[in-house]
Amino acid sequence: MKRLLLPGAAAFLGVASMVFAQVPNPAMLRTPSGDHPITVVHAAGQTYVSAGEVIAALGGTMSPESTGFRLTLNGVAGAFGPDSRYAVAGEDLIEMPAVPVIFDGRPYVPWQFFQGYLSRAAGLEASWDAAANTMIVRPLQQVAVSAQFSVTNLGDISKVVVTLASPVEYTLAKEGGAYVIRFRGPIQAPFGTQNIDDPNVTGAAFAGRELRIGLASPDVAGDAYRLENPFRIVLDLRRAATTSVPAPVMPQPGIRRRTEPAGIRTIVIDPGHGGKEVGAVGPTGVMEKDVALHVARKLAGALQSRLGARVILTREDDSIVSLDQRTALANQYRADLFLSVHMNAAVVKDARGSETYFLSLEASDELARRAAETENAAGGSGDGDLQLILWDLAHQEYLQESSRFAQAIQEEMNRATGVRNRGVKQAPFKVLLGATMPAALVEIGFITNPEEESKLQSSAFQDMMVEAIVRAVERYKTDYETRIGILQPARPEPPLTGGIRPTAAVEQKGRTGT
Amino acid sequence: MGRRTAVILVIALALASCRTEEKPITSNLSVENKVAMRPVALFYESPAQLLVAEQRNVALPENPAAALPLVMRELLKGSANAGVPPLFPPDTTVRGAYLLPDGTAVVDLGGQTLTDGWPTGTHQELMAIHSVVQTVVSNFPDAKRVRVLLNGGTAETLGGHISLGRPFTPNAALVQR
Repeated sequence: MKRLLLPGAAAFLGVASMVFAQVPNPAMLRTPSGDHPITVVHAAGQTYVSAGEVIAALGGTMSPESTGFRLTLNGVAGAFGPDSRYAVAGEDLIEMPAVPVIFDGRPYVPWQFFQGYLSRAAGLEASWDAAANTMIVRPLQQVAVSAQFSVTNLGDISKVVVTLASPVEYTLAKEGGAYVIRFRGPIQAPFGTQNIDDPNVTGAAFAGRELRIGLASPDVAGDAYRLENPFRIVLDLRRAATTSVPAPVMPQPGIRRRTEPAGIRTIVIDPGHGGKEVGAVGPTGVMEKDVALHVARKLAGALQSRLGARVILTREDDSIVSLDQRTALANQYRADLFLSVHMNAAVVKDARGSETYFLSLEASDELARRAAETENAAGGSGDGDLQLILWDLAHQEYLQESSRFAQAIQEEMNRATGVRNRGVKQAPFKVLLGATMPAALVEIGFITNPEEESKLQSSAFQDMMVEAIVRAVERYKTDYETRIGILQPARPEPPLTGGIRPTAAVEQKGRTGT
Repeated sequence: MGRRTAVILVIALALASCRTEEKPITSNLSVENKVAMRPVALFYESPAQLLVAEQRNVALPENPAAALPLVMRELLKGSANAGVPPLFPPDTTVRGAYLLPDGTAVVDLGGQTLTDGWPTGTHQELMAIHSVVQTVVSNFPDAKRVRVLLNGGTAETLGGHISLGRPFTPNAALVQR
């Protein structure tokens, strides 16, 4: 099996296999209980440590999962996968400087993964001493992190933002007439107590490691989420009577788990680009990032009011959000659907129309085929190398649903607008690559086409597109929930076409995208 | 009169050289580096928004490893037809191009626009990448897939859409038949 999989592994690792021309080197792990030998790999200025060896030396365990590897130490779970610089530690996301790699069938992570994971799991801090070729783990010396607090009223929503100089672990709970944030480290508060003139928030009080946000009435509730760079805790608060958003369920970020099917309840809408990443630009200077944000905001509002879904935007303003972070946000919130909104561009000026994409995984198909061949040949015997392909196969799990979702969007857009139907396509979009839910990317029109650039700016055209996408989500939701048995079919619905067969990852050839 | 004669002479010489020295790029890596005019197929976007081959004779070494960067630079020069717009930003450079024994070709791109973040859309980004992929696999029989690098290293994307994390294989759906 090893022999059969090696070429596939090489293809999977791509450039990593070239970068990792060196062999693993012996190094040392220094812990409060003593020194332990570990192996490390140095490449492109980064030191990667053997995740299994480090966690074992600290008394924890590591086991393979379909989405990567799972660690446990002191009952705190950690997880990392192959395509993302984001890992999970408890309920938090950790950003690593590079993606983990497999070498000799074993996973190696940037040592900074343990910096984030051990502080949460064991109150330890990790550092790398290059001169001594040693990873040092010692008790965390906590320094107070400075905090800032602001409340901005946006119509019926009050946006509370707590900005911290560096990430701090915290819990959030609604206790009577207040939201309480309890930090797990010392905080340098900007003030003790402050009254606030706002329809939803009456004041804020810092006391020790606790921040209490007073609410104007008990029915004020909303969503909470985190943003990076700088680290911010954001609460969008509003009176429950003014919104059809479901009850104030605070997000429980963490590892997405397969549980009983629960239908489509949380949707993440991703307005493409942002900040200096403007996306495509039209002949009169209209920018993709601006149209995408307008459409996404309208879409979020319509999905909340029409479907009662909890909708989260990956960006709410003209800010830069990395592609990894967008998907990580959707995974963190355990979203049931992910839709990225974009405008298209072509050098052929009369290119026009809309198209919808879902992910293609060219290299994965090769690996999946090899896996099938190997499993057939070996009678399904286990081997550590299988983990390499399981990482990729985890992505395949959602491809069939993504295909159906994309098909529904494209069909509804064609029906509603009469713009040229460019169809459903596949391509290896970075923003779709790490999504652990059905995910699609819609290209509403060509901003490089003068006529479509003008249309895309028009509120009426945007509303028509939003209406079409809402109908598509509604249709997909009904179809999906009927198929998993939550809904009883009320009348014969035309089945959503475009779904690839479950085995397509292994069998499909000549796909339409890369 | 003298100018006309010179033009005719140049055309005649060009035709003669094409007729006598057009040799395809060999797939044998160990051949000597003999330079000759060789036909190559360079892919650009047609008005039908598909990639279409443009045939061109280029002075190339026989060794494919040595020929690859030259073919890539020829592609980046753009179409001979002024009506066919370039797919890449005009300041794009080919820093290097390599053929690996496992059939992977590596094309290392550079240039200020790509480095700063290319403001483009999905379709153009996809077509630009596949113009490289299609050109490589059409001219170098041993190349099965193409890995695209930026400034010598891995990059997430060229324009915010298509992942460069894995090698690309040819996509027939993007090529005009």
